[in-house]
Amino acid sequence: MIDGTRRTRTRLTSALGLGLVAVLSLSACAAPEPGSKTGTAGSSSLMLAADNGSPTFVKNFNPFVIEKRTTATIINEPLMVVNALDGKSTNFLQTNYTQPDAKTIVSDIREGVTWSDGEEFTADDVVFTYNLLKEFPALDSTGVWSRLESVNAEGQKVTFTLHAEDSSAPIIVLAVPIVAEHLWADVADPATFTNESPIGTGPYTLGDFNANQYKLEKNPDYWQADKVAAEQLVLPAANSQLDIVNNGYDWAYAFMSDVENTWVAADEGNQFWFPAGGTVAIAPNLTKAPYDDPNFRKGMSLALERDSIADNASEGTVDAAGQQGLLLPTQAEWLTDAIPDEGMVTQDTAAAEAAFAEAGYTIQDGKLVDADGNQATMTITTPNGWTDWLRAVQEIQKQYTAIGIDVKINQPQPAAYFQAVQNGDFDVAMTSFGGNGSVYQGYYNLLSSDFLQPVGTSASSNYQRYSNPEVDAMLTEFRTTVDEARQKELAGELQEVMYNDVPVISVYYAGLWGLFSDKSFTGWPDADNPYMTPTPYTSAALVILTTITKADG
Amino acid sequence: MWYLLRKLGLLLLTAWAAITLNFLLPRLMPGTPADAAIAKLAQNGPVDPATRAAIEAQLGVPTGDAWSQYVQYLGNVSRLDFGVSYTFFPQSVSTLVMNALPWTLVMVGLVTIIAFVVGTLLGVLAAWKRGTWLDTLPTLGGTFTSAFPYFWTALLVVFFLGYQLKWFPTSGAYGLESTPNLSLAFISDVIGHAWLPALTILITSVGGWILGMRNNMINTLGDDYVTFAEANGLRSRTVAVKYAARNAILPNLTGFGLSLGGVVGGSLLVEQVFNYPGVGYLLYNAVTNQDFPLMQALFLMLTISMLLANFLVDLLYGLLDPRTRR
Repeated sequence: MIDGTRRTRTRLTSALGLGLVAVLSLSACAAPEPGSKTGTAGSSSLMLAADNGSPTFVKNFNPFVIEKRTTATIINEPLMVVNALDGKSTNFLQTNYTQPDAKTIVSDIREGVTWSDGEEFTADDVVFTYNLLKEFPALDSTGVWSRLESVNAEGQKVTFTLHAEDSSAPIIVLAVPIVAEHLWADVADPATFTNESPIGTGPYTLGDFNANQYKLEKNPDYWQADKVAAEQLVLPAANSQLDIVNNGYDWAYAFMSDVENTWVAADEGNQFWFPAGGTVAIAPNLTKAPYDDPNFRKGMSLALERDSIADNASEGTVDAAGQQGLLLPTQAEWLTDAIPDEGMVTQDTAAAEAAFAEAGYTIQDGKLVDADGNQATMTITTPNGWTDWLRAVQEIQKQYTAIGIDVKINQPQPAAYFQAVQNGDFDVAMTSFGGNGSVYQGYYNLLSSDFLQPVGTSASSNYQRYSNPEVDAMLTEFRTTVDEARQKELAGELQEVMYNDVPVISVYYAGLWGLFSDKSFTGWPDADNPYMTPTPYTSAALVILTTITKADG
Repeated sequence: MWYLLRKLGLLLLTAWAAITLNFLLPRLMPGTPADAAIAKLAQNGPVDPATRAAIEAQLGVPTGDAWSQYVQYLGNVSRLDFGVSYTFFPQSVSTLVMNALPWTLVMVGLVTIIAFVVGTLLGVLAAWKRGTWLDTLPTLGGTFTSAFPYFWTALLVVFFLGYQLKWFPTSGAYGLESTPNLSLAFISDVIGHAWLPALTILITSVGGWILGMRNNMINTLGDDYVTFAEANGLRSRTVAVKYAARNAILPNLTGFGLSLGGVVGGSLLVEQVFNYPGVGYLLYNAVTNQDFPLMQALFLMLTISMLLANFLVDLLYGLLDPRTRR
């Protein structure tokens, strides 16, 4: 019933006494809670759906493990936070970084920062954290030590030496949450350490913790405390769609069906922003005929009506993706002029049939058949239960069936899906790529033969098993050069490869499901000001929580 | 005595078979725990290739061939050591099960008993007064409600009673800001949170007991010895309860034993809808995350309690019906 409190806030101010009595009597007769900010109408507490209990919370604030409370990355800040939408970074525990050459990163550590237990934060803490990840590879979930050679501190400068020239390294290397040496040095096994009383440099410290809800309280000694608007973060464990619509959240991360009539209609000031956070593509298995023929893949690309697939998958809240492999509009500055229409491919049945003909497939009696008269068949593999992907696959099936391909859908359980995809045990698989802020990294993970494994052996990326020495050479040069103009040229060439060689068929953008309320706080990121991804379960929350301001009134 | 020994031997044999199957089944599922962990992360967007290595290092995915794993497993089972969960790493499986079990036992267990008692009594009544409204109402109502799927009833209940009318809290086993303890306030909080899930289970399960009991009872009422008892002028209460119901209850009792055994498995869908921290939810997490250690412990607990419940019902049969003792 407390969400009733929130809804009646404007009336409260005008008819204070009467309203208060009404609200009090209402809450008295109703069940206590559910999932609401208890008695905080107009307060500066921020309710956040960022961390889901399953079904309850386990106290684990180790920022390096998977099963952590996601806010561990708010308590422990990294050197910088990268906006995955455009690759731009915001400094936290550093004031600046430079790359004197492509093998070295020098970070200027911020002075005057203290840990929330009062100890001073120093460059030694930074070196300690990186060496901890080196000693315990289980903690190194972004693979920084696959890039690093050594980390050394000299005064307030920390120097990162890389194995090889790598201009794309900073956004990954400098994003590690930093922990305190004086607390972690004595931990025997950091991989199983649950860090129940987390100490960090971040804007919030752990408050009341219960299995069904916990709170983070503002850190009064935070180095940029004046930028932190919310005094308290409230995180309930249960964040179902019904909870989110009914309980008056300030910030939630969830795909909401029919978002205009559910979330937006639920309360005044509710808004949503679903930017592209990755590209959903169908990956043909390039070790199998006919997918090893680029003409056939071109035909597959031209035969798709991507807008209707995007509409089906996410109710029109995300856009169709172009064949250039970039996240648009946020990576628009990387676009090349060498491919038409910014890489967007529109359905062209005649051109698709021509491409299939080049691959040796012709239309007979409405069926796409090879030289022997056998119909082309295709099984699309997609994880069971991922309904948005399934709806997209069903639409793709409809469109390919219309052109004469016999399409089946295979829906294994998610774990089995990943096993099949990594082992190359599929015809065509739904997959996603990109979305980590680095154009280079997106293409590298998708196309590099470094990930190449024979069918039957698990590949950690490049599932379609693409291998092209020219592309490898482009990627190597892209990684080693720090010259931005040259990087853009190379990105352009890679876009041409994506467009002409069709290693995967991009279909639509995977949305990031940001739901915000303007009632208590304003300044959330949106399409006009995409300063950060709306993802509260990552370090991105640090940037947003230090940007939003209290709403007036 | 021979009866008891024979039943005991059967119990041990089935237990071994169950324990072995329990080892095999999770391993027949495609995908590894690391695949499952990546699948979970990938729902939020593309996963960095480096993540996989870290996950495998964290979980310490099983090594050795199947035979040595089996021998190790038998040893661990005999010591009731089920290892560390993958899903809730680094928590031990025993802690997780011990945390979840009380919620399920109390909530699902109580409701199962209530549903059985209420359903059976209503069934007796319906058969005894057949043709009257006391028969048609529970019979028709029971047929109707037992056809409801669990999750559907749960969703209706949570939406109308929880979100629309706001009579009951919609999720969890206790309030947002309370910590489990034995105070009166906490217990009443728990009872408040148990209403909706309990109601759902009651609605969908009571019908089966009513119908079963009524049908058995009607058969028994047609038997000669009941007619004979009536002809002897015994009081109708005595005839209904001591003559007819005692004989008619046997099949229902088997069903009850099985449901009691199944209680420890929780009520997966209901616990899901209500975010109830019971065994059903735990089982769901274990299965979707390829959490072999957790799955093994839960399936084992489920099969063993099923076997024990059956065993107890068998013994009870011996008491209730002397014919089975031969």
